[in-house]
Amino acid sequence: MDIGSSPEEMRFREECREWLHANVPAEKRPLDAADAIDFDKAWQRRLFDAGWAGINWPTDYGGRGLSIVQQVIWLEEYAKAHAPWIGANFVGINHGGPTLILNASEEQKAYHLPRILKGEAIWCQGFSEPGAGSDLAGIKTRGRIEGDELVVNGSKIWTSFAHVADWQELVLRTEEGSLRHKGLSWVICDIHAPGITVRPIRKMSGLTEFAEVFYDDVRIPLANVVGGLGNGWKVAMSTLSFERGTGFIADQVKQSQEIEELIAKARANGMIKDDRIADQLAQMRAEVAAVRAMTYRNISEVVRTGQPGPEASVIRLFTSELGQRLERMAVLLMGEDIIDFAYGSDDAVGDYLRGFAATIAGGTAQIQRDIIGERLLGLPKSR
Amino acid sequence: MDLTPNDEQIALQTATADWCSDHMPLVGARSRSAGLWQQLDTMGWTGMTAPEMGLDHATETLLFAELGRFLAPVALLSTAVAARWTGAAGKAALALPAQEHVRILDGVEASRALGAFGDGLACFPLAGQLSSTSSLDQSTPLARIVCPAEIEPVDDPRALLHLQLLTAAYAVGCADAARDMAADYAKLRQQFDRPIGWFQALKHLCSDMAVRAAVARSQLYYAACALDADDIDAAFHIAAAKRLADQAALDNGRANIQVHGGIGMTDEAHPHLCLKRAHLLQFIVPAETAALLAA
Ligand SMILES: Cc1cc2nc3c(=O)[nH]c(=O)nc-3n(C[C@H](O)[C@H](O)[C@H](O)COP(=O)(O)OP(=O)(O)OC[C@H]3O[C@@H](n4cnc5c(N)ncnc54)[C@H](O)[C@@H]3O)c2cc1C
Repeated sequence: MDIGSSPEEMRFREECREWLHANVPAEKRPLDAADAIDFDKAWQRRLFDAGWAGINWPTDYGGRGLSIVQQVIWLEEYAKAHAPWIGANFVGINHGGPTLILNASEEQKAYHLPRILKGEAIWCQGFSEPGAGSDLAGIKTRGRIEGDELVVNGSKIWTSFAHVADWQELVLRTEEGSLRHKGLSWVICDIHAPGITVRPIRKMSGLTEFAEVFYDDVRIPLANVVGGLGNGWKVAMSTLSFERGTGFIADQVKQSQEIEELIAKARANGMIKDDRIADQLAQMRAEVAAVRAMTYRNISEVVRTGQPGPEASVIRLFTSELGQRLERMAVLLMGEDIIDFAYGSDDAVGDYLRGFAATIAGGTAQIQRDIIGERLLGLPKSR
Repeated sequence: MDLTPNDEQIALQTATADWCSDHMPLVGARSRSAGLWQQLDTMGWTGMTAPEMGLDHATETLLFAELGRFLAPVALLSTAVAARWTGAAGKAALALPAQEHVRILDGVEASRALGAFGDGLACFPLAGQLSSTSSLDQSTPLARIVCPAEIEPVDDPRALLHLQLLTAAYAVGCADAARDMAADYAKLRQQFDRPIGWFQALKHLCSDMAVRAAVARSQLYYAACALDADDIDAAFHIAAAKRLADQAALDNGRANIQVHGGIGMTDEAHPHLCLKRAHLLQFIVPAETAALLAA
């Protein structure tokens, strides 16, 4: 065990820092998805052109083929430099692309991966349905096979960035009468295809970042199935493991900035003299430190064994709840200024309201606890 | 950067756990045999942190977490720190100074005691045999003495950090023990025709124990490496590890009793042993709020 970096890693960190210092845009990323889309695409393109997209993706598809430790270093420096949130590219970069790398055919990879890295193709995730949220195996959207096509009918909900996306990772039931985890397929869906209607939904923060998606006799070529017809559950689980696995690396640095800002603010307005507040701040500073330690431990595990330990859900659960504690502290320190929040603004209250997503999206805190109890501790399955 | 134990460390860790389960099972913690210290000494556990052994702090934390899991005698902490920083061999009791007296923990057959006095670590000789009684933690004999007139400070500030780190490791082990005891019971005990671990109310209690233990253990490893690397933030990281470990040990101790239901609060069952040990450990070099908020 050691926390030091090799000379190569130190050089790489320096490179990241220099580039980010010179290139992080001065203007802020617009908040609402529809306003931000051009910004998100342009920024992704700039990252790609300079070699910072897909640091540990295979070189054949436009990545750099570097180590996961270098990927972590990049994300750390990225957050430290206050570089813009990846925004609409989140799905493609963080789980759509990685799922393709693991499960897709050569043609599928060759077509889609470079487009994701260049910011030319925005992806969204069509898993959840009105009747299939936590119970993802309850998926009802169906794809009837007709010749070499699937004819799709049904609807999806909470699809982040659907209204600005080009492609969708769509999980549907391709075997009529199949139950639960069986008979599902993971397909690449052209979200501009005829028969698709997208209706944006407003969040309590005032932003419009996700949408409802309706499918009415939408035709998708069978060639777009990833990982084989009927194997959708397995492919979807790999998507979820990427979704739950990568986000926290950037969170870790963001949270360490947040806690320092909170301590500084509490010192400035004198609230740190309240012992309960001081104690909570102290506690959260310790917890933020532990998030980094957990991240390093998990990454070390990947490097040593080739796969993450069963602790991804532990990190996901802990960081999501810690993030919410930090956001609650930030509004506590604001006092009655919280009242002045205007719909859609970008401040501590906006972060606080948006932050409710952390213990819902990608599997709720309750579902993560089930996973920890069952997979880590071996308790009997409840579902 | 690598925060996973290497093969050699894993081998040591496994050997430690094996020895503990054979010679020092947790279930015996309330009445440890008089010869246990002698056994620990013969096996080399008491001297493993002496400078000539060359163990780094990262390895020590692994081993002390295992020892802590079996509620090993607390004098191992003070003896280890004394061996590293004063060069002295032999059992050193753990001293907890209070207003008018000093509590001597685990002082049976110890010739010296070591503890945190003010903001540094200090040692002093013990005069003759102490008459110890049992403490809240039944594995830890307790005696009281008046404040010694002469104490020898240990000059190096790392000595105090070392004691804090090893105590945090003990607490991580204690949190692990409570988690495992709870999970084992939840798989075994049936109500409503199914194992109680099937019920989410219980499953989630256990998952939270797993989270607390994992968080504390990660920070413990980081802190140990920070001390090994002479990192300028080492003091903060050790304080953070101590805070999270103490909390994990206490909260897991409480949750474990709840998971056991009625039997959980009996003397004959074992969950209370972890809880009581956790209460004791939190007073050994606690992580002060000020240390955690220091710039
Ligand atoms: C901001 C945001 C973005 C999202 N983006 C996407 C996206 O891009 N693509 C996508 O497919 N989905 C997306 N989701 C959907 C998300 O995955 C689901 O909201 C989530 O899985 C919960 O499902 P649900 O909303 O149907 O809630 P429900 O499943 O109805 O849950 C309601 C409550 O019941 C609890 N509950 C349910 N079942 C159990 C159980 N077995 N045990 C204990 N408690 C239980 C839940 O924890 C929750 O508290 C997004 C959600 C949010 C908030």
